[in-house]
Amino acid sequence: MIQFLNYAVPGVPFGCVFALMAVGLVLTYKASGVFNLAFGAQAFVSALAYVSLIQDGWPRWAAGVIAVLVIGPVVGVLLDRLLFRRIRTASPLVKLVPSLGLLVALPQAALMIAGAAPTIPPPAIVGNAQAVYVHLGSIPLSGLELSISASTVIVVLGLVVLFRFTPVGLEMRAVVESPRMTELAGVNSGRVSAFAWILSSVMAALAGVLLAPLYSQLDPQNFTVLLVWGVAGAVIGRFASLPLAFVGGLGLGVAQEVIAGYLPAGVIANGLRPSLPFVVLLVFLPFVRQRQIEDPLAGCDPPPTALEGTATGYRAASTLTATAGRVSAVGVWHGRLARTGPDRAPGLLARRPTATLAWAVAIIAGVSAVTWIPPDWLLTMTQGIAFAVIFLSLTLLTGMTGQISLCQASFAGLGGFMAGQLANNFGLPVGLGMVAGGLLAALLGVVVAVPTLHLAGLPLALATLAFALLSVVVLAISAGVVKLVADGTMGRYLAAIRGSELASSAVGIDVYRLRILVFALSAALAGVGGALYGTLEGSLSPDDFNYQISAVLLVVVAIVGLGSIAGAVVSGVVYATLQQAVTTLPGRFAGLVAVLFGLATLSYTRHPEGFLDYLGARTQQVVARRRSRTPAGGRGGSPPVDAAVVGSGG
Amino acid sequence: MTVPGPQLLVASGITKRFGGVLALDSVSLDVAAGESVGIVGPNGAGKTTLFNCLLGLEVPDAGSVTFGGRRIDRMPVWRRSRLGIGRTFQRMELFEGMTVADHLLVAEQATSGTVRIWRDFLHRGGPTPGELHHVEEVLDLLGLADLAARPVDTLDLGHARLVELGRAMMGAPRLLMLDEPSSGLDTEDTGRLVGILNETRRSTGVAVILVEHDLSLVGAAVDRLYVLNFGKVLAAGPVDEVMGDPEVRRAYLGSTG
Repeated sequence: MIQFLNYAVPGVPFGCVFALMAVGLVLTYKASGVFNLAFGAQAFVSALAYVSLIQDGWPRWAAGVIAVLVIGPVVGVLLDRLLFRRIRTASPLVKLVPSLGLLVALPQAALMIAGAAPTIPPPAIVGNAQAVYVHLGSIPLSGLELSISASTVIVVLGLVVLFRFTPVGLEMRAVVESPRMTELAGVNSGRVSAFAWILSSVMAALAGVLLAPLYSQLDPQNFTVLLVWGVAGAVIGRFASLPLAFVGGLGLGVAQEVIAGYLPAGVIANGLRPSLPFVVLLVFLPFVRQRQIEDPLAGCDPPPTALEGTATGYRAASTLTATAGRVSAVGVWHGRLARTGPDRAPGLLARRPTATLAWAVAIIAGVSAVTWIPPDWLLTMTQGIAFAVIFLSLTLLTGMTGQISLCQASFAGLGGFMAGQLANNFGLPVGLGMVAGGLLAALLGVVVAVPTLHLAGLPLALATLAFALLSVVVLAISAGVVKLVADGTMGRYLAAIRGSELASSAVGIDVYRLRILVFALSAALAGVGGALYGTLEGSLSPDDFNYQISAVLLVVVAIVGLGSIAGAVVSGVVYATLQQAVTTLPGRFAGLVAVLFGLATLSYTRHPEGFLDYLGARTQQVVARRRSRTPAGGRGGSPPVDAAVVGSGG
Repeated sequence: MTVPGPQLLVASGITKRFGGVLALDSVSLDVAAGESVGIVGPNGAGKTTLFNCLLGLEVPDAGSVTFGGRRIDRMPVWRRSRLGIGRTFQRMELFEGMTVADHLLVAEQATSGTVRIWRDFLHRGGPTPGELHHVEEVLDLLGLADLAARPVDTLDLGHARLVELGRAMMGAPRLLMLDEPSSGLDTEDTGRLVGILNETRRSTGVAVILVEHDLSLVGAAVDRLYVLNFGKVLAAGPVDEVMGDPEVRRAYLGSTG
């Protein structure tokens, strides 16, 4: 028992921080219908503000107050006003992509503003972090642990009082049930919802500031991990119950310490601890029913038309991928894809005018790579092609089925890692016992990688050139596969599932089998892309493709266009080129690509069809307008098509 | 109307509980081959829940379902569908963004269960001439031939309901389950629906279960009627007989009836 407590008690402060995150997530989800993945970024921004202010010589209580009570709510309210309020009723993907974009963009933007992350661990808000104040039996409690626990207790008591005994607490509970009903009762539900945002933002900020002293350097990655713990806690609370979410977060904090304590130190314990929240997600997610938000006023609405999609919440699921020597765990978000506008052409990957343009760009890029581009840019272009293959895996998965995967980078990493390992120790396969998708990714990655192994002995220029050509071939094959799927029976089935899972099974489609199939196929593509990239780089560590990268990948291709092969190709070339360009800038701008694409997701809510399709539609509009201005049959009886060409030329 | 054949669908003792609410209380229902059976009842009587239990979208707490003599209550939905059950939804479930023809084609291919999707990779995934022909037949029957290439999102409610009906009719089903097909339609559209339904029954001999509020539609399209109230079968029998039952009138039409 004492032994257990010895392990459990140090977990309580972690648990408190996780619990704060979990409660805050549930609060915003219930009050605004948005699952705010930017929550981790909000925690990071406040933590960074706290640390920076202390470095500037501010007293730590003042720094704490400003970071938690000023910066936290201001960021939260801005997010609510500028973005989340507008997408309350949008589809899951439209809701998810911007918050994902903010998750990658906000920390990098904050780091750019602050200069660089301060390197000295900051003190706790109160007390001396390291000093031991009290002993609980034989267990020492440090100032940090005490301050975290005490702050959490105060926050929780405050919440209980707020919800039980104050008018605004009552109003908040009502708004969660039905905003419209509450409005009819004379309550300004917008104001109440904003209050919920402020409240949850304060909790994110507090979690960030409390946790900051634990890290020697503030790294956005740590706060993404914190977010994942919070999500796991929220899932235990079924996205609905604040007390359960709190208990869940607390329990996870304790559990991870206990597990680490009892297991022998080493690979397994170190690997298992960070994967615990994903295990929890896997175990608990099946119990989270897709909450059909039943509005008591729904009976007053006119009957639903054919157009009206069911605004359901998204289901989240998670996938575990073990990478040799270390468990890197990744989450997969399943959701149903956006309704992509009324004039969306039928078919999954419809032909578009921009496709020609995109292919022209790709071909010119390829051809010029071979002829006049300097070697380092040749490398960039080839990287772009490797990324295009990875992006294609998302076109297949997210674009066609609407499933949102945050583990594509892991499949890519897996493929790349396998390729690298085989290249170094030929004939010694590692990474047995991986999940099916990962295995497939790795196997296919190997298939591509093996023929390229011997290229290493050739003169470098020739090798890279040959590899560039090989990449183009691999891309062409991958694109062909995606196109065949899109045009074939499978594509029709996938479109049907995206339209209505219920009706798909009712006409005889085995929805689950098809989902697994397309997921595995997508994983394989990502693995091939990763293997290309890995062979290009020479070596690859699991960190090259962590789940932060997964988020960036999804965000990039969502902005450029998930609906077409051209979208994936353009994404790859643009992403690799921008990354190369950023290396010429000063170090503090290292996160610029993430910031640019992350902030661009704000436009995604208005143009879920993606930049490429938007551009195509605009071009058509301009052409049509010019055509209407040009007198009919501009050049003596020539057909209207020619008139358009003349019009756009002049 | 039609001479009842052997029993096609037999459900007995179907019970379904949602928390404390007893949505279905030991409901038994049978449909003979080629027969048309109506289910009426006030809102919340359990009609749609019964449909969901029959097709497997909900798992009943007790009871059994046989179809064509086979127990089907442990089968996944898609397998029951392939046995020959087509269904429409009260709250329409169309495949957004897909064309009218594709709706029918997907259903035709999926219901047959003979399509091998790996053939896609050999560029052999296209529909067979037979499948396309059947799609055209149904389009003609429904009067949707002109709209075949339209995305369903652009259709009005009446046509959208017809697309749903057509989708349920693909793959030569032996039983059609229609959940309030006239909901949101005007009298003209409803009349057309009755015509199509009766024509289909006559030409294919398909059996029908019809959940409906519109009593004129029920009277025109149904041989036998079940009345559900609070999850229980209140009465069952020929339409006139059931509608004359004083207890039914009280529950369904209000005490003034």
